[in-house]
Amino acid sequence: MAQDLVRMEHITKFYGRVQALDDVNFTVREQEIVGLLGDNGAGKSTLIKVLSGAVPSTSGDIYMRGKKVDIRSTTDAIANGIETIYQDSALVTQLSIARNLFLGREPVVGPSFLNRMDYATMNQVAGELLRRVGITKNIPTTTPISALSGGERQAVAIARAMYFDSDLIILDEPTNNLGVAETRGVLNFVRNARDRGHSCIFIAHNIHHVFQVVDRIVVMRRGQIVADNIDPKQSTVDDVELVITGMTDEELAAASATPAA
Amino acid sequence: MEHQSLVRRLIAKPEFGPFVLLVVELVVFTAINPTFLSPLNISNTLVFTVELGLIALAMTLLMTAGEFDLSVGAVFGFSPVVMWTLFNQEVMPLELAFLVAIVIAALIGLVNGLFVTRLKIPSFLVTLGMLLVVRGTALFVTDGFPQRTWNAGDQWIAQVLVGDFHIGAFRLYMSLFWFIVVAVLFWYILTNTKFGNWIQASGGNPNAASARGVNVNRTKLILFMLCSAMAALAGIISSIRTSAANPNSGTGYELEVIAMVVIGGTALMGGRGTIVGTVLGVFILRTMRNGIVLVGVPGLAYNIFIGAIILGMMALHYGLERRHQAGN
Ligand SMILES: Nc1ncnc2c1ncn2[C@@H]1O[C@H](COP(=O)(O)OP(=O)(O)OP(=O)(O)O)[C@@H](O)[C@H]1O
Ligand SMILES: [Mg+2]
Repeated sequence: MAQDLVRMEHITKFYGRVQALDDVNFTVREQEIVGLLGDNGAGKSTLIKVLSGAVPSTSGDIYMRGKKVDIRSTTDAIANGIETIYQDSALVTQLSIARNLFLGREPVVGPSFLNRMDYATMNQVAGELLRRVGITKNIPTTTPISALSGGERQAVAIARAMYFDSDLIILDEPTNNLGVAETRGVLNFVRNARDRGHSCIFIAHNIHHVFQVVDRIVVMRRGQIVADNIDPKQSTVDDVELVITGMTDEELAAASATPAA
Repeated sequence: MEHQSLVRRLIAKPEFGPFVLLVVELVVFTAINPTFLSPLNISNTLVFTVELGLIALAMTLLMTAGEFDLSVGAVFGFSPVVMWTLFNQEVMPLELAFLVAIVIAALIGLVNGLFVTRLKIPSFLVTLGMLLVVRGTALFVTDGFPQRTWNAGDQWIAQVLVGDFHIGAFRLYMSLFWFIVVAVLFWYILTNTKFGNWIQASGGNPNAASARGVNVNRTKLILFMLCSAMAALAGIISSIRTSAANPNSGTGYELEVIAMVVIGGTALMGGRGTIVGTVLGVFILRTMRNGIVLVGVPGLAYNIFIGAIILGMMALHYGLERRHQAGN
């Protein structure tokens, strides 16, 4: 069995009086894609926001490879090898692909007081990365992000996480608003990332997408984890739906048979 | 196909519209009144153009980072007052007074920046307040009277900043040289350096930028200080050239400078900035001012044309941007 990469222990989160997470234990192993499922408001985003430093937890600990880490900001998370990819927010749309990939860590050429970015290296590496995540279309790396499709933007963000050797890449609903081909692309990027040694957390409402790509499914309901070891190869979409809604077969049948009062 | 795409790319550049407008202005004004292109007129127009231009260049960087500074006009009036008061009262030599005035201006910028970055107050409000404080101070310390500057001519620093020289029939000032140096320097910073990338990212998506480890606040602080210091430099240059440090001078310059910057294609809300565009914007507005008078339109109508130019150019820039975004 693979090593644990990330372990979150006894994580609790209150937003004021609303309890979003209730004593959650969650692990991701090395080179594993975990699908995180649950209905609206189950606490999925909150859990990964705690992990990515976007919101502080009320209590609980986080371990990376067995070592306790303190994550208070997105910068901390990135420094610990945890990269989060939202639909848009992680990229600067006005800047080019290459400039985004290296933002904050731009390589420099020439005397240091000139502070000159190494464009040649940036564009060359960016081009390679786009191929590596699986973008086959020939997109110049000088293209601004604003001219890219949603799926291509995801690809750029995934490429960046791969290049800077993030151990864990978190994707919160990356296939939202994407067409069929684009979705397939993103799923491919995720698989490629795993094959190159990265772990991923994949959140999506479309269970079929999750089934296509993940190694293990974790289900949340009302701030708690109710199943954390579903093997997509040995269960069906219907099974998982039941766990998500928390109903038995009979209850579900009854619910769909009687019109809502 | 390569050729066609090259032309297309050129047209799609935000600087293309302003460039065409400037050419049209030059052609129309020259056609109506040939003295427009005379060495004397060009020399006279250039003098003040580059003084305002210095501020516009710094404002371009600041606006690209997503902030702007309404206090530059007040600093333009205040800094020469500081310098000449210190010198005339024989507190210190002119070179030192010059340095002190620039440092004080940079500190004004620092205060602007601290209010904006630490207290999260919009730069519109912070720099509006600073405009009043600085202008008020200038008026208060001088009782509203201009300061003497006539003993400037024999000072080397005056020669370095605004000494004049002749090339053919043109009478040029050192300030033109400084304008070119600063324009090239800022262009290099914005397009080629790490810091330039951070400036654009700070304006474009500050959250994403700081998540990548870009120090957005420090970037903005530096630019606020730079902007104020440039306004001070421009004010001092102007005061030496006109032999008057008037506490009222620079009134309204902030809006003219911001207009120059946005006409050139820099986004008011940050993320996108162009030094080349600003240079064009500077010349578009100053040429318009000069040309209107030369072709006999009453000077009072100037603002009508400036307003029309701003509206037209904004329609163009935002149209281009929307087309860009529709492409996804
Ligand atoms: N900023 C916030 N302030 C207050 N309550 C919040 C906040 N963010 C989330 N919550 C609450 O916490 C609970 C969990 O929300 P969360 O966003 O984690 O759910 P989710 O599983 O991601 O849902 P979805 O699938 O709709 O994205 C919800 O009850 C929500 O209302
Ligand atoms: Mg969510």
